[in-house]
Amino acid sequence: MVAFTVNDAPADVAVDPSKPLLWVLREDLGILGPKYGCGIAQCGACRVLIDGVSTPSCGVPIGSVEGASIVTVEGLADADGNLSVVQRAWIEEQVPQCGFCQPGFLIAVTDLLRRNPDPTDAEIDEAVTNICRCGTYPRIRRAIHRAAALGRA
Amino acid sequence: MPKILSRRTFLLTGAALGGTALVAAVGGVGFLSMVDVDGLQAGAVDGDEATLNAFVVLHSDGSVVVNVPRTEMGQGIHTGLAMVVAEEMDLPFDKRIKVEFPTEAHPAYSAWFNALQVRPEEASGAVVWLGRRVLGQMGFIATGASGSTMGLWHPMRVAGAAARQMLLAAAAERLDVPARDLATRDGVVHHPASGRSLAYGDLAQAAARLPPPDAPALKARSDWRIIGRPQRRVDIPAKVRGEPVFGMDVVLPDMLHASMRHAPVFGAGLVRIRNEAAVRTAPGVVDVAVIDGCHVAVVAASWWQAEEAAWLLDLEWTRTEADGENSETLGARLAAALASDEAYGHIDDGDAAAVLSSGGAVVVEADYRVPFVTHACMETMNATAILRDGAAEVWAPSQNRVTMQAAVGRGMGWAGVSPGEITLHVTMNGGAFGRRSDQDVIAEACFLAARHAGRAVKVMWSREEDIGRGLYRSQAAARLRAALGPDGLPIAYDALVASQSIFNSMGARNMPFTPGPDGDYLMIEGLDKLHYAVGSRRTRSRHVPTHMPIHFWRSNGYSFNTFFTESFIDECAAAAGADPLAYRRAMLRESPRHLAVLDRVAGLAGWGSALAPGRGRGIAIEECYRSVVAQIAEVTVADDGEVRVDRIFCAIDAGLVINPDQVIAQMEGGMLFGTTTALMSEITVQDGAVVETNFHDFQVQRLANAPDVVVAIVESDEPPCGVGEPGIAPTAAAISNAIFAATGRRLRSLPLAVTETTGERRTRTVLRA
Repeated sequence: MVAFTVNDAPADVAVDPSKPLLWVLREDLGILGPKYGCGIAQCGACRVLIDGVSTPSCGVPIGSVEGASIVTVEGLADADGNLSVVQRAWIEEQVPQCGFCQPGFLIAVTDLLRRNPDPTDAEIDEAVTNICRCGTYPRIRRAIHRAAALGRA
Repeated sequence: MPKILSRRTFLLTGAALGGTALVAAVGGVGFLSMVDVDGLQAGAVDGDEATLNAFVVLHSDGSVVVNVPRTEMGQGIHTGLAMVVAEEMDLPFDKRIKVEFPTEAHPAYSAWFNALQVRPEEASGAVVWLGRRVLGQMGFIATGASGSTMGLWHPMRVAGAAARQMLLAAAAERLDVPARDLATRDGVVHHPASGRSLAYGDLAQAAARLPPPDAPALKARSDWRIIGRPQRRVDIPAKVRGEPVFGMDVVLPDMLHASMRHAPVFGAGLVRIRNEAAVRTAPGVVDVAVIDGCHVAVVAASWWQAEEAAWLLDLEWTRTEADGENSETLGARLAAALASDEAYGHIDDGDAAAVLSSGGAVVVEADYRVPFVTHACMETMNATAILRDGAAEVWAPSQNRVTMQAAVGRGMGWAGVSPGEITLHVTMNGGAFGRRSDQDVIAEACFLAARHAGRAVKVMWSREEDIGRGLYRSQAAARLRAALGPDGLPIAYDALVASQSIFNSMGARNMPFTPGPDGDYLMIEGLDKLHYAVGSRRTRSRHVPTHMPIHFWRSNGYSFNTFFTESFIDECAAAAGADPLAYRRAMLRESPRHLAVLDRVAGLAGWGSALAPGRGRGIAIEECYRSVVAQIAEVTVADDGEVRVDRIFCAIDAGLVINPDQVIAQMEGGMLFGTTTALMSEITVQDGAVVETNFHDFQVQRLANAPDVVVAIVESDEPPCGVGEPGIAPTAAAISNAIFAATGRRLRSLPLAVTETTGERRTRTVLRA
């Protein structure tokens, strides 16, 4: 039995401790925002916050998250459903195309702005390594700067 | 999902044909054949749902469901086509509008434009009518060829206008005033003389019971308030909350999950599973199944368990003739094809061969190459199927309902099952790029569903299967020759392209017949260059078969031919000592539309202004999917050969633009897709098998190395043109031409650079020494 919280709700699962967090979220907890994209921590579609830190959940054995606080894209809005500044910026810049990879980007950027509320382009390049095949990168960059501005407002 | 047609009506369509034919014969191409081919003479009311026609469903709270029978795969089509309906209905474009991909295959949803290449607003004549009729009956609902807006914007305008007129008629009856005294605005019918008004939601049920108008009047362009103005996408709010249901997210009670292992060499069969008993005892495993004699599925209670167990499989495959193939042997076939004189002739206008061999003129000749590449959609191939009481139901990200239906029959047929009723659900697509018009994974899911009748089975491919055992854009090569006249401009152009026919390969897998490879227009699109003024022109193609399965890939032939031809035009300009922009302007002197686009992009990029040493600009232009698109890339090449694409400027004449922000988004995405392909992408083959397996060795652009992109839309008098694919076409040539400008080095094969890994998820691209 492994116990942790997901989006502030307590969760406990009795599964093989080597099962990756991604698959526990998707299969055992029905939280489908984090996506499978590569399975080898390359693409970032599965990123979640583990105790605030953006982490590719496909490579995290569930046995290692005992007691941790997990936040997925579904948990970025507040309890009343109000969107986070990152999500608002994503809408204002009309970022997503297919949208499949975006949960991972939203998580990665949420963590980046927590650590660095006003990142430079170089700092963005350093921090955000997710893959988007539709080519939304220019809008993602703009949206990160916009989210930083919204965060200051 | 609203039911547009009852089952009974659906079965009656054959009988209704005579009646509709009569309407068409009498009325020509009128409303009925445009929107409701099979004659929904009246709308339908089902509880709170008032169906006004195949595209518009109204609810009493004023919300509107717009049926958009095209796959949303990121291109924003659900928004663009809903805007058209909202415009004609006089609805505000807000939360009241919901878009659904209809489950039923109404004939009005058919993508007959894609097949017939006749715009609905210009359609006439018996042949076109018959073609749309047949394609409508077979449920040819497909999303591709950048054709969704071109094919549906007019029918959906008519549908919106018809709905508005029915609402007006219902209001006139209710208020007992002539309809001509009424006006509509923001979802409300007003009677200005009395100040009375009625909301659409209150009129919906009455309107749905009225006959549709024969020829509803369309709004004048000057009255448009939505079309042509940027609107926010209807799907984005859900996408930032992680809510959309992609195929991968379909969950059904008690479902099984399967992971696949396909033959490493395409065409190999399975000899045996050496350790089947052991794999069957792995945790969670329910079944190990051989599909169609050549693929192995591991079925388990969880996909993770299925995938873990699949890694344990010890499989023996049959030997094939392709076992000795590798990238060099496959590439040699292209070279041999270029050296041979055997080819399929497409255009032979003038006497290009004679002019080229006559001596006297300066002749420019060059060979170009591109490798195999793959789609690498972020959502790997997947499908969910269930067989219940002889009826099949399937959920999948898919671009084509016809091949989807065929795959259900094929997959269940492998299990000896012929399903009665088939229900298909098209989910959100996590990227598609042409890949999802092949339904290999749907057939696999259906086989397994038939084998485990009563239980839903979801098949999902691992990324390794997706990249290494998938479908590919063909390798291609071209030999281009031009004779330059005294002014340096080409007087003869001779082009030969060697590649594997897409239709031949995809047809063999997906169609009831296999199209012959010769004359496949997808192989030569982008080769003819009809917009360039040239006295003599010859274009030819040569089908070079390999064992690799070839498929549609965003922009198809343009993805290589435009790289070939627009690099070559640059070489001609260099041979003539001319500026690449001025040279193209001279060749396009009779094409004002192209000149406008060229001039716009040149202005955007500041063509001609000085750049620092090691930097260069390159230009390329293409006409495709009825759009004209030009791009200028700016690159920096470091002393050690590292190449960075700094910026790409793009101008497009896409005709009438419905949602400008989404045209811009498609150009941005196309340029990024094109940049990845130009610099990085390559599928290589060793011992008959694909070498690349995942994103660590099939590299794609990431944020850190993505260029800035700047897009301008050129005003146009044309009707809407395609935008999903044009953004890719010029990119590789623009980048290659920029590298030439920066370094003097002419690169004639893709990828232009080698990708070096510099750290975790970090790469740089370096020109080959």
